[in-house]
Amino acid sequence: MSVVDLLPLTVAIPLVGAALLALSGHWIRRMGCDILTALFATAQAAVLLVLWLHTAHGSPGHSPASWVGGWTPHRGESVGIVLVGDPVGVGAALLAALLVLAVVAYSWRYFDEPPARMPGTFPALVLLFEAGMCGFAVTGDLFDAFVFFELMGTAAYALTGYRVEDPRPVQGALTFGLVNSLGAYCSLLGIGLLYARTGELGMAQIGHALGAHRTDLLTVAAFVLVLTGLLVKAAVVPFHFWLADAHAVAPTPVCMLLSGVMVELGVYGAARVYWTVFSGAGGIPAPAVRGVLVCLGVVTALLGAVMCWQQRHLKRLLAFSTIGHVGLFLVAAALLDPEGAAGFALYVAGHAGAKAALFALTGVLLDQYGSVDVHGLFGRAKALRRSVGLLFVAGGLALAGLPPFGTGLGKSFAEHAAGSWLPVLTALFVVVSGVTGGAVLRAALRMFAGAGRRPGESGGPQTSGEGEEPEVRDPGRRVPRTMIAVPAVLLAACLALGLAPGVGGVFGRAGALFVSRADYQAAAGLPGPGATAPPPPLPDWTTAGVALGLLSTALAVGLAAVAVWGPARRGATARAARRALAACSRTLVLPLRGLHSGRLGDDVAWLGAGVAALLGAFSLLR
Amino acid sequence: MTRRARTRLFLAAAAVIAAVFALACLRLPPFGTQTHPYADRAVEATMRQRTANTVSSVNFDQRAFDTLGEETILFAAVLGAVGLLRRTADERRTRPRPVAVLPSTRLFGAVMLPITLLTGVYIVGHGQLSPGGGFQGGVILATGVHLSYLAADYRVLDRLRHREALDRADALAAGTFAALGLIGLGAGAAYLQNVLHLGTFNQLVSGGLVPYINAAVGVEVATGVIVILAHFLDQTEEFAGGGKGGSR
Repeated sequence: MSVVDLLPLTVAIPLVGAALLALSGHWIRRMGCDILTALFATAQAAVLLVLWLHTAHGSPGHSPASWVGGWTPHRGESVGIVLVGDPVGVGAALLAALLVLAVVAYSWRYFDEPPARMPGTFPALVLLFEAGMCGFAVTGDLFDAFVFFELMGTAAYALTGYRVEDPRPVQGALTFGLVNSLGAYCSLLGIGLLYARTGELGMAQIGHALGAHRTDLLTVAAFVLVLTGLLVKAAVVPFHFWLADAHAVAPTPVCMLLSGVMVELGVYGAARVYWTVFSGAGGIPAPAVRGVLVCLGVVTALLGAVMCWQQRHLKRLLAFSTIGHVGLFLVAAALLDPEGAAGFALYVAGHAGAKAALFALTGVLLDQYGSVDVHGLFGRAKALRRSVGLLFVAGGLALAGLPPFGTGLGKSFAEHAAGSWLPVLTALFVVVSGVTGGAVLRAALRMFAGAGRRPGESGGPQTSGEGEEPEVRDPGRRVPRTMIAVPAVLLAACLALGLAPGVGGVFGRAGALFVSRADYQAAAGLPGPGATAPPPPLPDWTTAGVALGLLSTALAVGLAAVAVWGPARRGATARAARRALAACSRTLVLPLRGLHSGRLGDDVAWLGAGVAALLGAFSLLR
Repeated sequence: MTRRARTRLFLAAAAVIAAVFALACLRLPPFGTQTHPYADRAVEATMRQRTANTVSSVNFDQRAFDTLGEETILFAAVLGAVGLLRRTADERRTRPRPVAVLPSTRLFGAVMLPITLLTGVYIVGHGQLSPGGGFQGGVILATGVHLSYLAADYRVLDRLRHREALDRADALAAGTFAALGLIGLGAGAAYLQNVLHLGTFNQLVSGGLVPYINAAVGVEVATGVIVILAHFLDQTEEFAGGGKGGSR
């Protein structure tokens, strides 16, 4: 037995915790439930930290792996399930565990009215959600990945709709559940096709066995179908419609988990499946994958940024900023090179800290004012300027990629990798992070400083965010300390990630292992060349990286300033600029907003259109 | 999007998907071939593990980690139902009225209920030997209990199922599966490793860990299905007023 045999515990610990909560919640009451949840979340984070230290700093030979049930392969064949401890996989699980820990601390005594008969239900569901995410991140078996994917979905749907007193959460959760389930059925169909062709379920084993066949329509169909479920989870255009509707209505702690890590796991899964299953002979050619997925990423990033800028409902604003960033993550991962993968991993880690912190701060506003409407809160949050306001601005700057935040470093890796493939992609990273960060700063200026003119009512379809139910019903109470401390710690972690020495080395190695098919096959017990030469470590901060980070931050600050103080400017130029913006908004933005109708039928039609388009593209490009 | 545009978009997409999927299926290996790499290995492993039912060996031993995840999905669904279908402040509880049932229906229920329960127990209990197991038997057990709803009325069903006990049994069974896996780690082997004595092939106690995991799954599925249905039935039978998603 070695350290890596602790991998299955990352599923077992939260599961036992959830069972205990459901079993004893009635007797141990509220406080007991909170303590029990904290204990199990801490144990889980500790185990993953040990695993990550074991795997991230390098061991000779290939990445470690653990066969559940001891079904180690004989002559390269096994009937069991392998869990692979490569740094990116374990790191993703660790990220989920740390965020769950933050959420547990944040929601300490969060809900007033847990279900009377089972007060442990909410924390138990959070732990099951964690089990699903961690299992999905570390498994090396395609069907097993599907099972944990479904577990993470089931728990997430229930958590999203948790405030049943209001019909909106129930509708949001229903859309979330149905669209994601449809995606998951596609994935299962694809797994069925792959099993029929190869007779294998392990990702490395399927990839190996595909080498005996030509790339044909079956391979293409399987690839697209498996990818569909993952891209739906990742909210990539045109599969993204569920995300904003679910985020707008989910309880704040759940938003932190959805945006911070679950959505990103979709991109992680797509990249993982490509590298382990489809990157070799008999798979899908790399140029096709790179071309199509980078295109999807660009469209997703731009749409997320544009829609983010349009929102006045804070949770929807943050949700669309997540879509924008997911587009950037997809671009980074789809470059199919080690540096892109390293940038993807680091960017996701930094973004998780910043985005979860922003959602947590939004939760404070909801708690204090019963509203998440930026216009309605205009100047009303001045009392919280020095605590929540400052942190909110810091979060906005982190989102824009200000050095030395971890988001800035991740962005600089991804940007460099993308720019060396296609220079215009550098601009995409700067613009999207600048616009999303700017939208957050604009909201902060309006709510905490009452800066500029009171924004007027504009026409067109929009969700205001007025009349939300406060999640904690105790008006006039002081902000609980944990609700400020948790976002502060999250932002500090995001900062530490960018400042820690040697981050480039650790993530550079992680990225190289992530894209190494040989390493994964060796870990899964297949014969092969095994370990590859370690890549040259990435430099922590480069001049170009810092300069681009400052540029996107300047863009964010500039956009926020123009949006807040621009409408009051006089003079011919200002008037002309306003007229041009209004025309642009009418022709481009309004139709786009109209597409986000929130109707389930529309979401499903777009899902189908997306699958058909991907099938068409990959059939032509194979 | 208008209704028409949506339908057109969906139909066009569906046509493309159907065409590509149909062409892809033509590339599938034909029926009746001799190469089944996983099946050959699984049957061989089943024999080594002295488990008579290969499906149960795959479910509860060779790929037990999958089953752990699947069973946890059911557990999450149960907790989700508990959370989402809870009685809210604006819902009143009403006492369901007794319902008149044909005597023949009542007789049928009275005869079939114990038989169904017995069948369920048998299917769960012999999961390691013959077709069936925890999943199938669990569903049969839950079905049996609900015969009382068909053959009598809701009040009889409510007397038959002790809600608190079922909730706890469900959680206990889910936790037991995860905890059973720790035996392997404790013995210095892997998680969920079948380290118990394997016993004699085709005996009730054989296959090591398989019958225990199988039983835990049986309890989890039976109680889980009853609890989920109970929450849905409560919504229609007992709660009045308010109305979720109603008139706001």
